[in-house]
Amino acid sequence: MRSLGLYIHIPFCLKKCNYCDFYSLPCTQGAQISEYTDALLLHLKTQSHLYTDCVFDTVFLGGGTPSLLSCDDISKLFSALRENLNIADDAEISTEANPGTLDKEKLKTLKDVGVNRLSIGLQSSFDSDLKRLGRVHTLSDFEKIYSLARSVGFDNINIDIMYALPYQTKSDFLKTLDYVVEKSPEHISSYCLKIERGTPFFKTVDESSLPSEDTQYEMYLDMCDFLAKNGYEQYEISNFAKQGKRCRHNMKYWLSEEYVSLGPSAHSYFNGVRYSYLPNLSDYVSIIKRGAMPKALTEESVTMSENEKRDEYVMLKMRLCDGLCENEFKSRFKNDFISTYPSIEKYIKSGHITHRNGNFSFTPKGFFVSNYILSDILFNN
Amino acid sequence: MDEKQKKIRNFSIIAHIDHGKSTLADRILEYCNAVSKREMEEQLLDNMELEKERGITIKARAVRIEYKHKDGEEYVLNLIDTPGHVDFNYEVSRSLNACEGALLVVDATQGIEAQTLANAYLAVDCNLEIVPVINKIDLPSADVDRVRHEIEDVIGIVADGCPAVSAKVGLNIDQVLDAIIDGIPAPSGDENKPLKCLIFDSYYNSYLGVVVYVRVIDGTLKAGDKIKLMSSGATYDVVEVGHLDAFGLQKCDTLSAGDVGYITASIKNISETRVGDTVTTAENGASEPLQGFKEALPMVFSGIYPADGARYNDLREALEKLQLNDAALSFEPETSIALGFGFRCGFLGLLHMEIIQERIEREFNLDIITTAPSVIYKIEKTNGETIFIDNPSNFPATDVIKTAYEPTVRANIITPVEFVGGIMDLCQDRRGTFKDMKYLDATRVELHYVLPLNEIVYDFFDALKSRSRGYASLDYEFSEYVESNLVKLDFLLNGEIVDALTFIVHSEKAYPRARKIAEKLKDNISRQLFEIPIQAAIGSKVIARETVKALRKDVLAKCYGGDITRKKKLLEKQKEGKKKMRRLGSVEVTPEAFMAVLKLDDSEK
Repeated sequence: MRSLGLYIHIPFCLKKCNYCDFYSLPCTQGAQISEYTDALLLHLKTQSHLYTDCVFDTVFLGGGTPSLLSCDDISKLFSALRENLNIADDAEISTEANPGTLDKEKLKTLKDVGVNRLSIGLQSSFDSDLKRLGRVHTLSDFEKIYSLARSVGFDNINIDIMYALPYQTKSDFLKTLDYVVEKSPEHISSYCLKIERGTPFFKTVDESSLPSEDTQYEMYLDMCDFLAKNGYEQYEISNFAKQGKRCRHNMKYWLSEEYVSLGPSAHSYFNGVRYSYLPNLSDYVSIIKRGAMPKALTEESVTMSENEKRDEYVMLKMRLCDGLCENEFKSRFKNDFISTYPSIEKYIKSGHITHRNGNFSFTPKGFFVSNYILSDILFNN
Repeated sequence: MDEKQKKIRNFSIIAHIDHGKSTLADRILEYCNAVSKREMEEQLLDNMELEKERGITIKARAVRIEYKHKDGEEYVLNLIDTPGHVDFNYEVSRSLNACEGALLVVDATQGIEAQTLANAYLAVDCNLEIVPVINKIDLPSADVDRVRHEIEDVIGIVADGCPAVSAKVGLNIDQVLDAIIDGIPAPSGDENKPLKCLIFDSYYNSYLGVVVYVRVIDGTLKAGDKIKLMSSGATYDVVEVGHLDAFGLQKCDTLSAGDVGYITASIKNISETRVGDTVTTAENGASEPLQGFKEALPMVFSGIYPADGARYNDLREALEKLQLNDAALSFEPETSIALGFGFRCGFLGLLHMEIIQERIEREFNLDIITTAPSVIYKIEKTNGETIFIDNPSNFPATDVIKTAYEPTVRANIITPVEFVGGIMDLCQDRRGTFKDMKYLDATRVELHYVLPLNEIVYDFFDALKSRSRGYASLDYEFSEYVESNLVKLDFLLNGEIVDALTFIVHSEKAYPRARKIAEKLKDNISRQLFEIPIQAAIGSKVIARETVKALRKDVLAKCYGGDITRKKKLLEKQKEGKKKMRRLGSVEVTPEAFMAVLKLDDSEK
């Protein structure tokens, strides 16, 4: 059976964080969220016939803030998923969660419906940072939720953190890392803050308050070092895991595997087509209620050419520390890797990429300038 | 004098930029019913798109207007339009020579400006009768009396009772017509003398060949006549003669003394019909040409390169086409290590250069990279040889130079009093020699400086404007070559000389300028994966140094919930940006970096 990932977007937050440019709306009304959950279920029912020959081995609830769903909504959603889709017994089922929106009951509900991986957004161990970022929780909120999660039996937890925050020093960041490692989660995602156009930070953050490029680079290298020493293997530019605890759902993205999705702004890759749904909640809900064709929901849909598939494959594979295997590339695209992308050689010489045992991968310093290098190597047609 | 000539008035309109010359021309045409309002595109005489936008007339045009005066007589008015800018001074003076008088338009809110004066002096030199016209009297800040006095005091012509008009709203245009008929003399040539025509403009038409605009001074001319151009001796058979009205060429039988019209004679190349040359008959022609002919010589040079090297031939075609109608534009192929194949182009001045660059980009849709403008240096070498250098890269090493000379200009700057200090600082900074200062009235001053041309070709005009909040005006003319201590300043990126950045500078200015340009380069070269040293050097001696640090961070850390397309688009966009870069040895530089280093004045910061 063909294996597939499922992504479900929950486009609500108590309050939008100052740096976030994902599609999500501030919401405190349970009724609106329930209405949305009903729409998701409806959408799921109209789509399920497409996936009769597929088995879903990963499910990921992302957002927004999936932990804003009420216990009832969670139960409804998961029973509908199991009713309409063929979900593997050993599927990885992840939910993103904000410490400000969880309690013991909800954690229990999540555990009961089969969620087996929790991804908690912490971002920083300093309350001053949390405040500046516009997070709705404090460090002690996190502390509580983390131990509750452990106590109800979650044994696969990711902690999200960020670096290169305004006014953050290298030692501040090391303290956050210390704190996180102390908690001993199975997985750590650590993202470099990017000031996105259209976010409050774009207007309010003064360039000079951010760590310099050089400092950011050092933060990154220090982090890779520190986490390695503490038993976290880096497997992607921003992701670290204990043995066997990589995020299987995210791995699908990087391995150019297929996944489908539900929810406004959500992206899918299915039958060689990359498509996304409109980033508009009310349109999404009303189109589904009307029973309109999926086409009306679609914002963008691209059928990938062989060259596009190939370039994307390289772009995504090279995000992984395992890198890209020449033989696999050759059998997949019938072409030699180096002769397809000859300009890669200068980056091997300059020490940004290693070529070892038939495998190409970025070195840590290469990772940190990977856009520069990939944009040079790829997209030559 | 014959009856026909008595009824002709040949005149130009001269003015400072934006004082309303073209609008007044439109109103005169409209008033005389030469065009109806409906037919009239705003500012009919300026028919290049660029002219309309800039509000300047680049090439002279002429138009014949038939006008029935209030005395009941029919007159022929030939309005000869002139370029309004100093770069085209020579062309202006030729156009003026085709006239007996000129309307001097002065803005009632601004008063006399630098080009008002320069043009008025040119008209006086050509023995023209000057009729002042005070324009824009509809504006609230108009001060007609003050401007009248200014004209009388500064230029020394009677302005009492001169027309005060609003060309924009069409007020008092009849008074202008009266002034033309009464104030400007009729021509007084002799149609029985040998033919003498002054060429004041020409343009290339793909059906007719070169169309030559002439003023007939003496004699008569008709189709079939054999004519001779006196500077070259070349002869042609006249195919057609005629007049120019507001709608184009109107064929006629003969042109005779006093007339303004055109000639076609299957002439292939505009460079054969130089403005200022005299046309006569091939047999029994005039013995002496009209005075004052000279070839317009380019004073400012710059390299022009296609941004996309593959479009070299398109660039050549564009320059060839532009040259068809602009004999003052010169170009020849050159090669730059940094920029590849391109052309060294010569221009009359800065405005001429800007106009050509803009026309290449706009009319031919070509992206170009231009190098810093340069002037022609004269070098006496130690071996006795004298050479002229129009490309800074060819400037010889110090040890073979006996004496170097650079061109200077006489600059005339008019400014409100409060900006005098800043402007004098600027001129001082640009190695100017102060000549004198004159108060035009209590609030405005005229400054005279001699300035090296190479100090004003970069950004002098912008600097002048920014130091005077846009009020100061500038006019200059070539003065002479003077001995100067010049050095060649090279810039090296990652150890390699970038020839397109080389320029010539006075030795006293070498250090500060080298530092400034090195800084600008540092700010404009994007970081690459390795550190890039920037060095400024005179010969082998490095006099300034900067470093572009290595790129450390260019990464997309986030996961974006499976939004692969966004990542890809971002990288593709980055790729596009990279394609526009020029590779200089191992360093990639954006075309903008070349331009940015040209702006030297920081007074606005």
